[in-house]
Amino acid sequence: MNAGKGSRGFTLPEVKTFLLGNGLKVYAVPKPELPLLEIHFVFPFGAEADPAGKGGLADFMAEMLTLGTQKRPAAQLAVDVDALGATLSAYSGWDSTVLHIAGLSEDWERLMELLLEIYTQPAFASQEFDQLQKRRMAALVQQKDESPVTADERFQEVLFQGTSYDHPVYGTLDSVPQLSCEEAEEFYRRRSSSEGCFLAVVGNFPEEACLRWAEAKFPASKKVPPVQGKDFSPADPGRARTIFINRPDLTQSQIRLGHIGIHHAHPDFLPFEVMNYALGGGGFSSRLMQKIRSDLGYTYGIRAALEPRKRPGPFVISTFTPTATTFPCVQEILTVLHSFIVQEATDQERSEAVNFLTGSYPLRFETLSQIAQKIIQAEGHGLGLEYLSTYPGRVEGVTREEMAQAARKHIHPEEMLLLIVGCAAKFREEFEHLGIVEMRE
Amino acid sequence: MMGLPEFKEMKLANGLRLLVGEAHSLPIVSYQVHFAAGSRFEKPGITGITHLFEHMMFKGTKELGPEEFSRIIQANGGTLNAFTTTDNTSYFENLPADKLELAVRLEADRLQNLRITPESLEPEREVVRSERKLRSVNTPFGLLIEQLYSLAYEQHPYRWPVIGWDYDLKNLTLNDCREYYRTHYAPNNAVVVIVGDVSAEDAWKTVDRYYGSLPPQPSPREVITPEKPQRGEKRAIFKKVSQVAAFFAGFHIPAISHPDLFPLQILCAALSTGRSSRFFEKFEKPGKAVETRADMGYPPFLSMDPGLLQIYAIASPSVSLTALEQEVWEEVEDLRRKPLSRDELFKVKKQVRSHFLRSLQTFFFQGLLAGLYQVRAGDFRLLDRLLPGYESVIAEEVLRVAQKYLRPENRTVVLLQPVDQGEHEELGELE
Repeated sequence: MNAGKGSRGFTLPEVKTFLLGNGLKVYAVPKPELPLLEIHFVFPFGAEADPAGKGGLADFMAEMLTLGTQKRPAAQLAVDVDALGATLSAYSGWDSTVLHIAGLSEDWERLMELLLEIYTQPAFASQEFDQLQKRRMAALVQQKDESPVTADERFQEVLFQGTSYDHPVYGTLDSVPQLSCEEAEEFYRRRSSSEGCFLAVVGNFPEEACLRWAEAKFPASKKVPPVQGKDFSPADPGRARTIFINRPDLTQSQIRLGHIGIHHAHPDFLPFEVMNYALGGGGFSSRLMQKIRSDLGYTYGIRAALEPRKRPGPFVISTFTPTATTFPCVQEILTVLHSFIVQEATDQERSEAVNFLTGSYPLRFETLSQIAQKIIQAEGHGLGLEYLSTYPGRVEGVTREEMAQAARKHIHPEEMLLLIVGCAAKFREEFEHLGIVEMRE
Repeated sequence: MMGLPEFKEMKLANGLRLLVGEAHSLPIVSYQVHFAAGSRFEKPGITGITHLFEHMMFKGTKELGPEEFSRIIQANGGTLNAFTTTDNTSYFENLPADKLELAVRLEADRLQNLRITPESLEPEREVVRSERKLRSVNTPFGLLIEQLYSLAYEQHPYRWPVIGWDYDLKNLTLNDCREYYRTHYAPNNAVVVIVGDVSAEDAWKTVDRYYGSLPPQPSPREVITPEKPQRGEKRAIFKKVSQVAAFFAGFHIPAISHPDLFPLQILCAALSTGRSSRFFEKFEKPGKAVETRADMGYPPFLSMDPGLLQIYAIASPSVSLTALEQEVWEEVEDLRRKPLSRDELFKVKKQVRSHFLRSLQTFFFQGLLAGLYQVRAGDFRLLDRLLPGYESVIAEEVLRVAQKYLRPENRTVVLLQPVDQGEHEELGELE
């Protein structure tokens, strides 16, 4: 991609695209300010590819990549990575899986070698798998104490029931014991040469030498068609639902309110983003923050967000409030929401949102990781790299009418799921006056 | 130093200190105001006022309405926030470089014209109480860490949490806030840092234009009782509903500018940085612990007065916490008996160097380093000694500091003991 002009003279970091002789696609972004580089090998599938009942398999497979190669047991690999002062990780998002190594520029070749060895010769050793499974189960048990995490997980589990987004990326206490080392290895073998894999190198590195190295050493791309995931057909909610997760020990309730939104490449996504700044994405510039925090003092923080994903992501209003103000807090949120849809954003709100999103755009390209993530997201969500350079101009073009239409068309208060984690006995009655409440453990 | 701009220092007649680092890789600037105002300056009964006051700084001035400061900065393409620690309160705006003057003007305005009213204090008091629940009361380990500091410090103000005790938050008055503003928010108690796409001369002129006429204030009288050396291990148990058992321990270590922090940082990294670290290999990898760490903070978040090096372990379900704790101390004892090998020392030094360089990627963090070293250590130039300081550490020094500071007599330990809901309720309300 050619360098694009953004707002106020900002020039995006130059993203160079190469198709090597071996078929490997490489994005190279030179950033010479510090002697650092990051290398990301990106696979075009994520947790949405997890088979039914096997939630967490893609992410499990990813971490197994970091636990030894056929030449190098896990302990040795850890020593070799740490001796470079490097960090190695592999993880799945919803739409992509990333093998990532970051270190000092002086070690660029060594870092490439390690990454290649991991990619081509992962060990999938059963002993490592057993230990990883044990670690992840322990972490999942501990995580039950984190009420914000419980709220996020359970909200999405209900919202996306029956779709490929119905479980956390890292799996659940029910699904993780169902995974096996053989499955993880097979999952990798079937997908590791998928069409759409690419390499992103960002930082201070010798570009030509690095490309030559990748061309000579990486195996020829096999162009295996990607394995097709499940259909994405969520059940029609039809009505609002209220679910409580009872945690009698909590003094503050975690509140999630929302529904399934639109996908990142949807033509209304950008107007929705601009509109949502005024509703709940713009911090103290948003109506929700103004009312719920500044005027009423019900919470330290509240936000509304539409998560960008390849398929429709969640639109959710998230906050927390002391147990005693749980009910009035939800009522006030709904009041703000309804009035915002009816009254629409003002000209001033539109102009502030546009100025913020375009003016702060350069701040999203400061670190090597930020730049790499932007590339991975643009590719993974089918936006294309042009999206990055055209974003400020397209935000500037969003009109107030488009914002209003995005709110009316894509926010449905009457179909929202309300999920609260907290001491339910203290607020349940108030909510029952409004309709059926489901209690869950 | 590599990766950091050369900071130019200027001082206004009223005592305001300005540090400017020119960096032109992006058309943005980080504008920061750091006050020598942290919870260490508080007194019992009004704990949390420093942090509550940080919130009040967004509630409007003679010209601006509540939260209008934030709205204007964002509407000009900026991001902003503030944070309070034991040692400083800091305000910052990261914004397009051509908007620098706006940030300078608005920050100078709230330094002299803040409106402190009952209408702005009351909702904010509740916001902060909600924040206390968010960060301490309803988190798995927040109250445990509060208890650790309360036990480890008997006299020094680090014994209370930055966010304050809930009782004190309920009882703080408008006059307490006004008094705090008068005492601590003065140009001679502030360090302004600017990093980004600016010229030092222009930045100097802009800051002088808006801050130059502000009068200095008498320096606040510091009444900070130093902590006496600890002469024996202290232990406590904290009971709450929890899925896991855990312990958090603290060892008293020196303040930010002490040279022993270099080998201590190397020691912490040897214990728990990376998958070849001692703690990961021995406790996390085999599934004995969900997490095990040795942590003393990284520059610039090293404390102004002698702080704590924390070692903690969260036991995996069904693992005995007593046995886990014993094994952790055996691992620590190993460091007090034998020096690091050449390979391990080389590895850890490279990890620390690499981590430090990675932290320099944003103008914001570069500014924090300069500003907080100036406020906490009294001299931003100490930054130049960081990388050479780590590089010059030898194995014998790591052994020496392990023997000196990781003694059981210098240790405070708080155990998290899980209880059921019935016992939890019998123990009284959490707040």
